[in-house]
Amino acid sequence: MKKISIYRPKTVDEAVQILSSHGTEAGVYAGGTDLLIRLKNRLTQAPSYLVDIKTIDNLRYIKEDAQGRVQIGAATKLSEIADSELLKQRYPMLVQAIHMISSPELRNASTIGGDLLQEVWCQYLRGGYSCWRNGGHLCYGAIGDNSYYHSAMGGRLCYAVYPGDAAVALIPFDASVKLATSAGTKELTVEQLVPGDLLVDGRIQSHVVRFNEILTEVILPQPKPNLRASFEKLRPRGVWDFAMASLALSLQVRDNAIEDSRVVFGGIAGKPVREHAVENFLRGKTLSADLGDRAVAIALANAAPLKYNSTKIDMAKGLLASGLVRLNGNN
Amino acid sequence: MFDPVGCLAEFSPEPFLEIAARLSGKKQTSKSGSRAYWHLLNLMETSGYKTIESLELKAVDSATIYDDVAPALFELKAMGIKRFIVSSLSETAVTRFLARCAPVGFDGIWNRDNAGGIKALPLARALQGASLRPNRTMFLTDTAEGLKVAESVGVNAVLMMNDPDESRRLATRNPAGGIVSLHELADFIRIVRAERGARQA
Repeated sequence: MKKISIYRPKTVDEAVQILSSHGTEAGVYAGGTDLLIRLKNRLTQAPSYLVDIKTIDNLRYIKEDAQGRVQIGAATKLSEIADSELLKQRYPMLVQAIHMISSPELRNASTIGGDLLQEVWCQYLRGGYSCWRNGGHLCYGAIGDNSYYHSAMGGRLCYAVYPGDAAVALIPFDASVKLATSAGTKELTVEQLVPGDLLVDGRIQSHVVRFNEILTEVILPQPKPNLRASFEKLRPRGVWDFAMASLALSLQVRDNAIEDSRVVFGGIAGKPVREHAVENFLRGKTLSADLGDRAVAIALANAAPLKYNSTKIDMAKGLLASGLVRLNGNN
Repeated sequence: MFDPVGCLAEFSPEPFLEIAARLSGKKQTSKSGSRAYWHLLNLMETSGYKTIESLELKAVDSATIYDDVAPALFELKAMGIKRFIVSSLSETAVTRFLARCAPVGFDGIWNRDNAGGIKALPLARALQGASLRPNRTMFLTDTAEGLKVAESVGVNAVLMMNDPDESRRLATRNPAGGIVSLHELADFIRIVRAERGARQA
């Protein structure tokens, strides 16, 4: 493992200054369940200067603000979210999703900010291959075993899937995040935060956070009235594993008629895939036994599976059908 | 640098295999238009560039041009990247192929007639004609022969990873990089520029 230096700033401003002074050589260190593995994997993009934000005491909280929104500090542990009575009561689907992330031990260390901004878990990257994310110019996943960690919806140089579950579950609530930057605070929706692979500061990454910015808070608006929501995740084992495919589904239902919906797939593309075609189809429909079949027929029309991962699309469509059945019964 | 075969379009192997069979008297099979094309070029090299123009034109006419050719080439143009056709096809065949493409325009078109030969010669003429630096030039290819040709003139060979299994084999031959689709080429160049900028800083 390469030699590293650790900073322990006391404030977010101080942390931003340290990050600014080291450029892309520095990185934010919180739970460490992704960052420390990247260092152990000896990835070229792993930082040499760690800015430990655990020592900043105002980044770990779950609280309600005056407008009834819930704010979650970026350094809040996933286990704290999973145990939060406020979140269980207001956003049970989010809590359900957080419970499905990795294992209890890791949820005790991982933070919500880290889950949102984690690096991809492609076996070629983590195995030290010289790929796009590791100093090379070729995606081995596109031509190798792409059955699990790679996109079935096309790609942009790197074909790894965005691995996080929290973003998938936050998008149906129209959640947003705050970023601390050297020019002040920036607010983005979660969809804007993880728009899929793009070049940021000369590197390919799944999120838009620049080298000198820190994600500080997740904000959940008040849930809409008559909201039903579910999260399902298919994975090789019952714990630990990343999604082969997942679905966060929310329906706003009045008198059995769908007024609004959010359909967000995870584990199948380089970003959480919000399926607007299905959302538009569902709007105005009555919940019924055959609705799932009709929704599945139009879902993921622009799928572009690689050689070994077309099953991800089948799984995602299956989740959509079962999610609609579940929410139909949930009245 | 782009060769239409395997780089800008999916070519059927049959017309190239038929020419090869008539030249050599031996029938070969291949599922890949690119590999059939390079097999033919190997035969042409030893037979004084004999070919059958009508079958070459048939290959061009039946080729399926990739959807992202026009947007990718326009984006490269907007970035100030010079784009060249370098092909071992005849002048007539290349002209007919380009007539089927959107009017993207190229900074140079080299074929076996105006280059005076095949394989590396069109690349060498393009380098010479436009005073290009080989280490700042990319040649897109999806075959082992294409990689060798690029190496012989010192340009960076970029794999078009059309066939995953073949690409996995070719990736072991140290190409400068690889792309799945032409739409990725602009990002490829942006990354290389950023890396070069970081090294210089």
